Amino acid sequence: MKTDVLIIGGGPAGLSTAIETASRGLDVTIVDEASKLGGQLNQQTQALRPLPSLYESMRGFELANKLIEQIKDYNVRQLLNHRVVGFYADGSAGITDEENVFPVNAKKIIVASGAAEKAVAFPKWTLPGIMTIGAAQTLINRDFVMPGREAVIVGSSDFAMETAIQLMDVGIRVKAIIEKQSGALAKEQEKVRELSRSGIPFYFNSFIKEARGNGQVEQIDVALPDDVITLNVDLVCMDGGRAPILDVLYQLGCSFGFQEELGGWIPQYNNRFQTDREDVFIAGNAAGISTHGPLLLTGMIAGISASEELQAISALEAHEIREALWKELELLEDKEMHSGRVKHLEKFANPVLKDQFIY
Amino acid sequence: METNYETIVIGGGVVGSGIAYHLSERYKEGVLVLDKKYPMSGTSGSTQAWVWVHNKTPSWYAEFSMYSAELYPYLSKKIGDVEYKRTGGLSPFFNESDREKAQKLAESYRKIGIKIKVLSREEVLEKEPYMNPEVAGATYSSIDGNVNPFRLIDMYMRAAKRNGVRYSTYNKVTEIKKQDGKYSVVSDKGAFECKNLILAGGTWSREIGDMLGVKIPVNQLRGQILVSEPLKPFLNFTISGLRQANNGEVLMGYSMEEAGFNRATTLDVIQETANMAVQYVPGLRKAKIVRAFSGIRAMPEDGFPILGKVPGQENLYVAATHSGVTLSPLIGTLLTELIMDGETSIPIDRYSLSRFGESEFY
Repeated sequence: MKTDVLIIGGGPAGLSTAIETASRGLDVTIVDEASKLGGQLNQQTQALRPLPSLYESMRGFELANKLIEQIKDYNVRQLLNHRVVGFYADGSAGITDEENVFPVNAKKIIVASGAAEKAVAFPKWTLPGIMTIGAAQTLINRDFVMPGREAVIVGSSDFAMETAIQLMDVGIRVKAIIEKQSGALAKEQEKVRELSRSGIPFYFNSFIKEARGNGQVEQIDVALPDDVITLNVDLVCMDGGRAPILDVLYQLGCSFGFQEELGGWIPQYNNRFQTDREDVFIAGNAAGISTHGPLLLTGMIAGISASEELQAISALEAHEIREALWKELELLEDKEMHSGRVKHLEKFANPVLKDQFIY
Repeated sequence: METNYETIVIGGGVVGSGIAYHLSERYKEGVLVLDKKYPMSGTSGSTQAWVWVHNKTPSWYAEFSMYSAELYPYLSKKIGDVEYKRTGGLSPFFNESDREKAQKLAESYRKIGIKIKVLSREEVLEKEPYMNPEVAGATYSSIDGNVNPFRLIDMYMRAAKRNGVRYSTYNKVTEIKKQDGKYSVVSDKGAFECKNLILAGGTWSREIGDMLGVKIPVNQLRGQILVSEPLKPFLNFTISGLRQANNGEVLMGYSMEEAGFNRATTLDVIQETANMAVQYVPGLRKAKIVRAFSGIRAMPEDGFPILGKVPGQENLYVAATHSGVTLSPLIGTLLTELIMDGETSIPIDRYSLSRFGESEFY
């Protein structure tokens, strides 16, 4: 199979990059391991803001539907339930439908593989009933399954607070929020106050010492600064943050650099979101963990840049659009994160890990 | 860090660390190992790590490999558990016409005392029930086996360090000078002096030789290996092409391609390897592959080890070889003998760099 642009990952960044490239007449193929496009948006019921000026504020699943609707206007080849498993010697991507592997020869590859949640380990943390906040949200919103009755949340990020509220909305009793730091980390303090008002205790400077249970979690010991308390719970939701999913970029041999603000080791890229492999672009959380608005913008920039190289848009026009998108990115993105991104771009010319496959 | 040494070994892989350890059995001070990165980051850490004798040709090379395999049980006693398992080796064939070739191989080995059996289909399936029932037969040797390469090198290093060997890692050698009968080895972390210099740079042997104007004709070959999910222990033998590790993972592959130092994996070879594995052991069709990795192997131009003194250069030694895991205990022993006693208990003239001819020096 041949295509102009192969987009790996059909979440928000992959879809926005698909719109930018397909709308300019390019032959676009999008591959995603799930059975539906939209990625994590599909189970996100929270309102997303701020979004780029093109989009009014909406909930996650609404944005997924809108983006999917938009690409229907163009002829985008969708390989759902498919995965990229490697690359052939001639550079073609090897894509599997879980039965066979076939080559896809793409002029440009845009990697929008997203991020994966990180777990928080403690003794017996593998007992059923202990899961990440994203998994709990998926069970409630996508699968309509109650993950438990009595829960604790480990972590106090915005996403953790949002999940706590969603758990309560479906009738799960949230018994405590456990945070290692000395205060709540959420930027939206309103949600913290809402939870406090409902009488949920926040245990700061605290962590789970151990979980116990027969076949599933039944009890946890929480180490407070000067005490250890035992709680009876059947659900522990933990927020260990997220890490970019980068397997494909390692396989492609892209150079990597470390940028704390963007989630650690990520590929080096320039202001076109182009890696040091000129045919490979990157978008979304794979280019640095961020929020929804910036994710869409990075997808748009990568899409515009790939279109420019495939001569589907003039260099001048591409330059102007890119400038505008970067300005909007700076506005929408958390300041610290954005300064990390700018620092990351500066390192492009001198990658830290140029030869990770060569010793 | 001390800058004067009796002996410096360039390269801390399975060959260099093997030499350093065996030297340290004889003298306690004065050995330094320099490694460009860290031992195991190169070839030694990206191998199936067979200790493999049978179907090496010609028979004198098999004999040499056998002597090394014989040393492994003693090595484990000296440096600690390296998960060496003498499983026996099976090399299956699928055409009856290959039986004659196998019998000839067995005959030539018999003369040098390596016992190889040519097994019938039934005998193969009795030994290895999960083998493809369409197998025609196999050659079998009881001396073959495998080792955990990470434990092997780690144990070499620990034992060597206990005996006083120093390691300087992430330290690339950039220049080698000879002055006043000594070698001065310039590295990223400073210059070191020594009397004896051993070049054990593996895939980088050619580049290191160039620093002394010595041509060491070693090329790079890429090998790609697939790793399965941990499966119940079901493979009893080291099979040419695949083996099951202690943790249940099956390692598959013996591909060889020229790709310089490029350590990427390619689906072309991955698919070929998977097909080979499924042909041998059809049950693997259901196994999940959890990763693929490649290693760059050192391959002397004629395929055989380059060992011993560098002709015309005083106190300069070279050890560059394919099959470093199989040969390391023997190479370590022989190079130590050569340096300490001036001669080796097993002749190694055949492996001298001089076989490539005087014209190779410049």
